[in-house]
Amino acid sequence: MEIIEKALHDGLTTLSEFQSKQILSVYGIPVTTEVAIDSIEALDVAIERIGYPLVLKGCSAQIAHKTEKGLIALDIRTREEAEAACQAMIAKMDDPTAQVLVQEMIKGQRELVVGMTRDPQFGPCVMFGLGGIFTEILRDVAFRVAPLTRYDAMELMQDIKGKKILEAVRGMAAVDREVLADILIAVGRIGLENESIQEIDINPLKIRGNQPVAVDALVVLQPKA
Amino acid sequence: MLASSLNLDRLFNPSNLAMIGASAQAGKWGNIILINILKANFKGRVFPVNPKESSILGFPCFASIGDIPEPIDVALITTPAERVSALVDECGRKQVPFLVIVTSGFSEVSQDGMQLEAEIVAKARHYGIRLVGPNTMGLFGATASLHALMPMLMPLQGTVSMFSQSGNVGVQMMDYGQKEGVGFQKFVSSGNEGDLTCVDYLEYFARDEATRVVLGYIEGIDDGARFLKSAQAVAGRKPIIVMKGGRTGVGSRAAASHTGSMAGPIAINRGAFKQAGVVEVLSSLELIDCAKAFANYPIPKGNRVGIVTRGGGWGVITADACEEAGLIVPPLPADLIREIDQLLPDYWNRGNPIDLVATIRDDPMPTCLRLLAEWDGIDAIIALGAGFQSFNYQFSEAVQEPEELVSAIAFMTELFRRRGESPDTVLEGIAALVRSTGKPIISVSIGSDYAHRHYMERYHVVSFPTPERAVRVLKHMCEYDDFTGKIGGTLENQQSGECHGDH
Repeated sequence: MEIIEKALHDGLTTLSEFQSKQILSVYGIPVTTEVAIDSIEALDVAIERIGYPLVLKGCSAQIAHKTEKGLIALDIRTREEAEAACQAMIAKMDDPTAQVLVQEMIKGQRELVVGMTRDPQFGPCVMFGLGGIFTEILRDVAFRVAPLTRYDAMELMQDIKGKKILEAVRGMAAVDREVLADILIAVGRIGLENESIQEIDINPLKIRGNQPVAVDALVVLQPKA
Repeated sequence: MLASSLNLDRLFNPSNLAMIGASAQAGKWGNIILINILKANFKGRVFPVNPKESSILGFPCFASIGDIPEPIDVALITTPAERVSALVDECGRKQVPFLVIVTSGFSEVSQDGMQLEAEIVAKARHYGIRLVGPNTMGLFGATASLHALMPMLMPLQGTVSMFSQSGNVGVQMMDYGQKEGVGFQKFVSSGNEGDLTCVDYLEYFARDEATRVVLGYIEGIDDGARFLKSAQAVAGRKPIIVMKGGRTGVGSRAAASHTGSMAGPIAINRGAFKQAGVVEVLSSLELIDCAKAFANYPIPKGNRVGIVTRGGGWGVITADACEEAGLIVPPLPADLIREIDQLLPDYWNRGNPIDLVATIRDDPMPTCLRLLAEWDGIDAIIALGAGFQSFNYQFSEAVQEPEELVSAIAFMTELFRRRGESPDTVLEGIAALVRSTGKPIISVSIGSDYAHRHYMERYHVVSFPTPERAVRVLKHMCEYDDFTGKIGGTLENQQSGECHGDH
């Protein structure tokens, strides 16, 4: 894929959130609607396209942990808020290629994680588990080796302690497991079909209504030897 | 289709075996292994090879393998490492199909050893010889009564076959098996896996009709994809039970992503094993416990457990263990309670677990077990206190008086001795119920060290000394049933390579 080739050529080991999601999209994984802008001038067009409420994120291939660096502004509802947040982010990122991502705000209380990593014995493996801050705190995740069959994907969802999160709980709809299975299978395929992708994080994969949407993503590249 | 159709029949069941490095000197491996083979009454013929001897242990000795007048199926080598390479040439000229290289000092010790091993493997491939090891503790084959093993042990014969990436773990399993009444069909210590790997053995055991259950001790698999594919193709038909060593090793590399940092050897292997329907156990004893149940009992068709106990507390902890393991202990229906009312005192608990309230006269256990097994609301039973055989009924010899007490003790001792000798009707009943209902009934009994082997061999009843061990085994059986049940028709699809999951 062109994005990957270019990043490798530029000596990068990760793709930005925007680029990472473009790769997910190619494989049919639902991602947030978003526009990447280079300057304040482009903000109005982006806002018109996305609509309020929206999220702004500093977007740079060199920055993997946006939350810790104050590069995420949530639930923006006015032009003034948007401009102030956008300017603050541009000032914080010391990267001439950095952009600001104008992103739809996904409502939903449930956050999952889906990922891919390469195991020396089994090759590309797909991870599924509880997302957001719980990924690191609870480490409630499970793996399957790619390629995943639909059966494997369904079993993987049942393989975490917090599997009830997928059911109809506290007034929320049961998650569409078919779509989730498609995502798990697709992430495995990305690993199998792209040697230079070393790891993938989709975290959080939020549940809007009953549909999963990739809200943040990170693709880690393996530089060619 | 399995990836290979390598036939290892002659390796595990050879007619003629050469022992290169056979020795008359006690304490040398070339002596110990030869004695192990001979004392087990190997059905084939053994040809010791040693240029310095004319006869060893009463068998004529040959100066080189080329001097043996018969064709050789397996040559077992115990000579020092530096002599092995030349011996491979001799075996090649003799057209020996299999070499078992016990000798150590290869890739497991040094860079030079690694080169030497590569050279030997390359030579063997040139001659079309397949290698076990090097650095193997040997192999066992029940059909030929082949005990080509380093340690002095006599595994029981049975239907379980095992590959082990650690010789001593494997040998320990056969020793446990002896105590638990678990018989082996084939065993191989895979050593450094210079040529034949655990996946080759897995595929062979999968095809081997005499093997009912495959056991494995695994530390690392070079070709994970092939292992998965082979295991997947087999697991639905024949249980594969594996223990993975090296679970706690920290991740091998620093990861840039959350996914990478979560991907330790435990998590990935666990996922891969589940995907392939491989039963993963976490302790060595559990490996033998599972082998015993899977090899001798039907797989339950669900996870609902009935519990019959001779004591309340025993039932309580068993029910707890079941619930914690995700097994269901369902309440009894009214009609079943009415039937059991006929057998037990008025005050019985009328629930599951069924507490027999320590009634031993007119033992209600066999009928209770039958009523429970025939009820379609449960899939398996745990019978606590089923076996009385081999019960340790011992009295202190220090009790010398009064005379009446001494004679009462003597009477009880005799009673238990007779009971131990007469057939155990409860266990006989269990075996018959397992056959007629197809439901596993696991016994939990107190008794001497060999009680459970005795229950297995004499009554064909799977029995453990603690409820927790029984429950753990049942849990694994239920998970396996879940896998075979769900995988059903899709197994064929997986094997035909239609793996992308597009629908």
